[in-house]
Amino acid sequence: MIKSDVQLDAKGLACPMPIVKTKKAIQGLDEGQVLEVIATDKGSKADLAAWAKTVGHQYIGTTEEGGVLYHYIRKCNPEASEQVEKTFEKTISNEEAVNGEGLILDVREAAEFAFGHIPGAKSIPMGELAARMDELDKARTIYVICRTGTRSDLAAQQLAEAGFTTIYNVLPGMSEYEGELEKEVK
Amino acid sequence: MSNKVAIIAANGGLFDAYKVFNIATAAAASEKEVEIFFTFEGLNLIHKQGMHALDMPAGKEHFAEGFAKAQVPTVPQLVEMAQELGVKFVACQMTMDVMGLTKEDFVDGIEVGGAVTFLEYAKDAAPTLTF
Repeated sequence: MIKSDVQLDAKGLACPMPIVKTKKAIQGLDEGQVLEVIATDKGSKADLAAWAKTVGHQYIGTTEEGGVLYHYIRKCNPEASEQVEKTFEKTISNEEAVNGEGLILDVREAAEFAFGHIPGAKSIPMGELAARMDELDKARTIYVICRTGTRSDLAAQQLAEAGFTTIYNVLPGMSEYEGELEKEVK
Repeated sequence: MSNKVAIIAANGGLFDAYKVFNIATAAAASEKEVEIFFTFEGLNLIHKQGMHALDMPAGKEHFAEGFAKAQVPTVPQLVEMAQELGVKFVACQMTMDVMGLTKEDFVDGIEVGGAVTFLEYAKDAAPTLTF
């Protein structure tokens, strides 16, 4: 079971209904939230991935169980560029973080983490960070990573304000990571 | 990249309806601006009575079972959904005159126009599709 913010049941519906329903459902989500689309239309996998790409949302992945498809899409703001200015000063490259001594803290949503993360990385979604900071060791170096470096920039600032001293924002982030991936889905 | 899709619906069978409205609704759901120009038999697809009883191609009647099994929406449902998603319907004035039809014979919310109306819309649309 992968965590999502909103679930849409599109089982039994034929093309183009899963797409039409998804378009309507995603309007009710906040930016950054994850929509789970449950469908039986076999074409919905390719269609939803293409739809997300066209309209500017992030297609995370699909799992299948007993002939039912579970699709995960993260709502993005097509107008806001991913190139938002990053302000946290200490940064480190993907390679340096993977080979470093510190803890890799992945602040993407649980669904994004489930579909592939750096082996050994710890998952705390950005929205849960404030409440779960006590799970982290202040004495340890922490490399904060997300998809493109925007969320991890904010998370690194939050951690620094909370008294963590050796924090790095990992750039460019998971979108350009090509190393080994650990997955929680088949 | 153009954000407009232009479609000509020139045939009036059941299969034609699905070709037209599936592409149109999918495009509209993908944030495209969509306009369909209905001409000749294509007018059947938005005719108040006609759209409820579109014919299968001769010899293909056995597909009726497949349509039911695949839980495909009905044509009137697709028409409603397309309009709800903002797809614009334009009926061809010349064909309506030839067939003795008026705007009231069609679903609500359509516009009536001529060839130039469509060409003006389609000049910067990509893709333009004909069914």
